Amino acid sequence: MDFDFSDDQEMLRDSVRKWVEKSYDFERRRAVVKSGGFSREAWQGLADLGLLGLQVPEAQGGMGFGAVDAMVVMEELGRGLVLEPYAAVSLVATHLLQAGHAPSAALWLEGIARGGPGVVLAQEERHSRYRLDHVQTRAQHNGSNWRLSGTKIGVPDGGQAGAFIVSARTSGADDDAGGVALFLVSKGEPGVELKPYPTQDGAKAADLVLSEASGIELLAAGDAMPALEHAVDIGIAALCAEAVGAMDRLVALTVEYMNTRKQFGVPIASFQALRHRIADVKMQLELARSMSYFAALKLGEPAPARRRALSQAKVQLGQSMRFVGQQCIQLHGGIGVTDEYAASHYFKRLTVIEMSFGDTMFHLGEVSARMQDTAGVFA
Amino acid sequence: MDLTFTPDEQAFREKIHAWVAQNLPKDISDKVRNSIRLTRDDMQRWAKILGKNGWLGWGWPKEFGGPGWNAIQKHLFEEETALAGAPRVVPFGPVMVAPVIMAFGSPEQQKRFLPGIASGEVWWSQGYSEPGSGSDLASLKTRAERRGERYIVNGQKTWTTLGQFGDWIFCLVRTSNEGKPQTGISFLLIDMKSPGVTVRPIITMDGEHEVNEVWFDNVEVPADQLIGEENKGWTYAKYLLAHERTNIADVNRAKRELERLKRIARAEGVYDDARFRDEIAKLEVDVVALEMMVLRVLSAEKSGKQSLDVAGLLKIRGSEIQQRYSELMMLAAGPAAVPLRREAMAAGWQGDQLGGAFVAPLAGTYFNMRKTTIYGGSNEVQRNIVAQTVLGS
Repeated sequence: MDFDFSDDQEMLRDSVRKWVEKSYDFERRRAVVKSGGFSREAWQGLADLGLLGLQVPEAQGGMGFGAVDAMVVMEELGRGLVLEPYAAVSLVATHLLQAGHAPSAALWLEGIARGGPGVVLAQEERHSRYRLDHVQTRAQHNGSNWRLSGTKIGVPDGGQAGAFIVSARTSGADDDAGGVALFLVSKGEPGVELKPYPTQDGAKAADLVLSEASGIELLAAGDAMPALEHAVDIGIAALCAEAVGAMDRLVALTVEYMNTRKQFGVPIASFQALRHRIADVKMQLELARSMSYFAALKLGEPAPARRRALSQAKVQLGQSMRFVGQQCIQLHGGIGVTDEYAASHYFKRLTVIEMSFGDTMFHLGEVSARMQDTAGVFA
Repeated sequence: MDLTFTPDEQAFREKIHAWVAQNLPKDISDKVRNSIRLTRDDMQRWAKILGKNGWLGWGWPKEFGGPGWNAIQKHLFEEETALAGAPRVVPFGPVMVAPVIMAFGSPEQQKRFLPGIASGEVWWSQGYSEPGSGSDLASLKTRAERRGERYIVNGQKTWTTLGQFGDWIFCLVRTSNEGKPQTGISFLLIDMKSPGVTVRPIITMDGEHEVNEVWFDNVEVPADQLIGEENKGWTYAKYLLAHERTNIADVNRAKRELERLKRIARAEGVYDDARFRDEIAKLEVDVVALEMMVLRVLSAEKSGKQSLDVAGLLKIRGSEIQQRYSELMMLAAGPAAVPLRREAMAAGWQGDQLGGAFVAPLAGTYFNMRKTTIYGGSNEVQRNIVAQTVLGS
């Protein structure tokens, strides 16, 4: 039982934080948003820090770091509201590339570690509503190759992706988990069309329209779903940590504001109604931080315990993000709703995080379905 | 970072588990598991069993006869006893007054009072709140006047939990009206059999006699029962509050009660109702998050590397969770929780009850649990404290 960070982890945190402070302050971020939500320069900065290969095995030129290291990085990126889809490439897709059987996967991993074109997961569809097994995109065998057709939405590609890991159905009805496989689809191939758009949090995403697009099988039906679930759990843990970093910063901004803003001749921090509110905000923040630790530390558990834990974490984070986000805006008063001031941007990112990899209601359903007789951290 | 207990800690847990399985009387754990009323004898029987093994003062250091466990070991002990259905140890002696006596009492006082607390022979009560002094405790008026080698105590304490069984009571009393209210308070130990002490029951809304008023009418207290220095009592009381850390969240009991909630929901046919089940699932997330927060505090205490000032949060969250599970248990029983059967609160009751005897105490427990957000520093006072820490002013 130990929740201290190692010296190496503290150093990692320090280096990410310094990079954010130096290269990703609020004004620079604003410029990134204006230019479409992705900065090649920032991406290169993450590469130069060695962060892109954080979880790429050392054999492929990465650092081979673990879940807690990823959490540390994500907290700091969250604090700085970094828009670039770091977790999508360096945590989620990196996991799938390692789990996959395609010979090209190792090359992609090496590329990611070098800061070359990345890979992102494209699993969501218009009607999947966070379900990983609800897949309408179809894959048909064609000699040694596969042809994929269908549309994926919300693909976290700011332009850095060279390929996509696409979940597609090789057999079965739309929600048959056993018929889903994972494929590598390269950008720029015939039948691969990207429709990019900005997202509510200032980042960039795209719909991926596949028409008889060529794909390489990364994981066959049967093996794909457990790996996909694991990858999404890694993504959930990353989002939890990012949210904790973002909330930490948002609460700090709010506390600062409460102590300086004067009304009726006194700082608004002196009003008990607001004091109790900030106490409740602190509660939600610490519950969220506790469950973010829980999420990271449960990633190595066998699938049933891992899935239950990650859903529990996402429920807590969802509740916390909404409460902290809404109340910190409220505590700021008018300035909180402006585009000019940072608080609203934290609020919007927290809102989008809730709707990524399953919202609170979705994961409450998961917790409810996976409930056992015993309860608790070690159940 | 690591979410596992070390092999030593695991072995420690198993040792406690086996001992509790051997030594916790089944009639007592049956009562605890079903919210049946515990008698004085039940509570003291368990206290003495623990005391005989040197574990009633499970948080005590070795020099005072305790086991000298670290924060993790204490937690494991609390968890194993709670999950096994042991009654909550009445805290006033071993958890509350004993650490104050150890830290501020004279060697004579330590020799005189600690053995009776450690063995469970002497039942202690707490005399803090007064009718006019709740959240504003420092305004207390119970007066102790020094006359030679004695104090003469006059006044009234209230909300004295289980004071009807008390042998001794530790009190905050006013010894001076000079300066700030906090600076005129002393910490006095009083024999409840002294002439002039009267204990009167307060019946709470569940119909139970759990709390009392304690009146002091010219009670003579030997001056050697003053702890530490006169007018320093507030400091000692604050030390006591700081001593009560993670235990305040009562997360181990919450885990046990959550299991019980699931059993009741299943028996009442609402476990598979999506709306009800989701409420249980939400509570389960709350309990896991609280447990993680407790474990973070324990880890911080063990390593001493990072300080975690979240005692107020633990109290707020722990008490809200206690209220919520008692509420959901009652709602699970629904109409079967409505009949008032006070006799069903006694062990072995075989009467005819709609839904079975296990539903009889559920509404009463729900009513009883309203106290948890009021006592021990109301949750609103806790929010003041949390806000002060967060805002730095």
